[in-house]
Amino acid sequence: MLLSSVILVLREILEAALIVSILLVFSRQLALSGRWIGTALVVGLLGATIYAARIGEVSDWFGYVGQEVVNATMQLILCGLVAAFILLLYRQRRRALSWLMALVLVLSLTREGSEILIYYSGFLHQPELLAPVLLGGGLGTGIGLSAGALLYYGLMALRPLYRQRLSLVLLALFGGNMVSQATLLLIQADWLPAGGAVWDSSTYLPDQSVVGQLLYALVGYEATPSGLQTAGYLGATAVLLFLQWPFWRPSSEPRLSQALKP
Amino acid sequence: MSRLHLLLLPLLAAVSVGAAMAETPVIRIEIRDHLFYPDHVKIPADTKVKLLVHNTDPTPEEFESYELNREKIIVGGSRAVIFVGPLPPGEYPFFGEFYPETAQGKVIAE
Repeated sequence: MLLSSVILVLREILEAALIVSILLVFSRQLALSGRWIGTALVVGLLGATIYAARIGEVSDWFGYVGQEVVNATMQLILCGLVAAFILLLYRQRRRALSWLMALVLVLSLTREGSEILIYYSGFLHQPELLAPVLLGGGLGTGIGLSAGALLYYGLMALRPLYRQRLSLVLLALFGGNMVSQATLLLIQADWLPAGGAVWDSSTYLPDQSVVGQLLYALVGYEATPSGLQTAGYLGATAVLLFLQWPFWRPSSEPRLSQALKP
Repeated sequence: MSRLHLLLLPLLAAVSVGAAMAETPVIRIEIRDHLFYPDHVKIPADTKVKLLVHNTDPTPEEFESYELNREKIIVGGSRAVIFVGPLPPGEYPFFGEFYPETAQGKVIAE
């Protein structure tokens, strides 16, 4: 029970922690105040609580596939928010950028946090199991947050130009990942046609391995993705990278770090 | 905004194609005392099927399968629909992520 709660909580925390780390790097580079994080944490946890409390009702929508549709919608909105973020990044609309980052965190927390809350709600009936699963959850949270911190400090340690480029690529891959997951959910709901796997790398790098899980959270790795899912992933990533073109001109200085210069 | 519209068009087209598809076989699975009944689910290969999972426990469970690429929360005492396939012949393990020690099963496509 302990181990499974570590894994479950870690999987949810990891994805949210990694995107927050990437956003924090942008926040620092733009010298924005970190106030958006605190507000987003509170609103996000509230969102997670409401969504968790209503999940039974939501699940019954659209012929018992409401969960898929709502989650996919949140993920598509997340991709849209990332696109808007990239567009405003070039114009350095600082206020709007803070809002967008807060919204990304709120939606991520609502989605990932609700699952953790639903998991724990089951143990309220079984008080004898509550201590080990809470301990496991604490460990999972700790590992997830450590991975996020590692990514943040790793990115901050890079030279400004590389830091900016890697952060932009990771942001585009996050958007691609959201579209990929949304596609998968809509296939699960039978709203999109299912297709066979385009490739099968499960013998070399299974989804459930540690590296597989990490890559899933960071860049949306899947061992057996369908054609539509792959197309959604690549399409969204390509669009987001295209929106970043002002940052990729050969002569361009690291624009964001200039904001930090005295 | 126009770029977003262009992205959504093929999505909508695909949705309408999906809706026009014919009847799909329904397979019933029950969750009881953190176990799946049946735990070996036979489905026809290369056919899309609809899994109707009824969680009779008071606790929530999450139907999860890496091999099937499926993940869905089923709250206590409720039903959920999960579409799987078309799948090539083979075995596809699934488990309950909230109680993985006991809730284990597999879909056998043949």
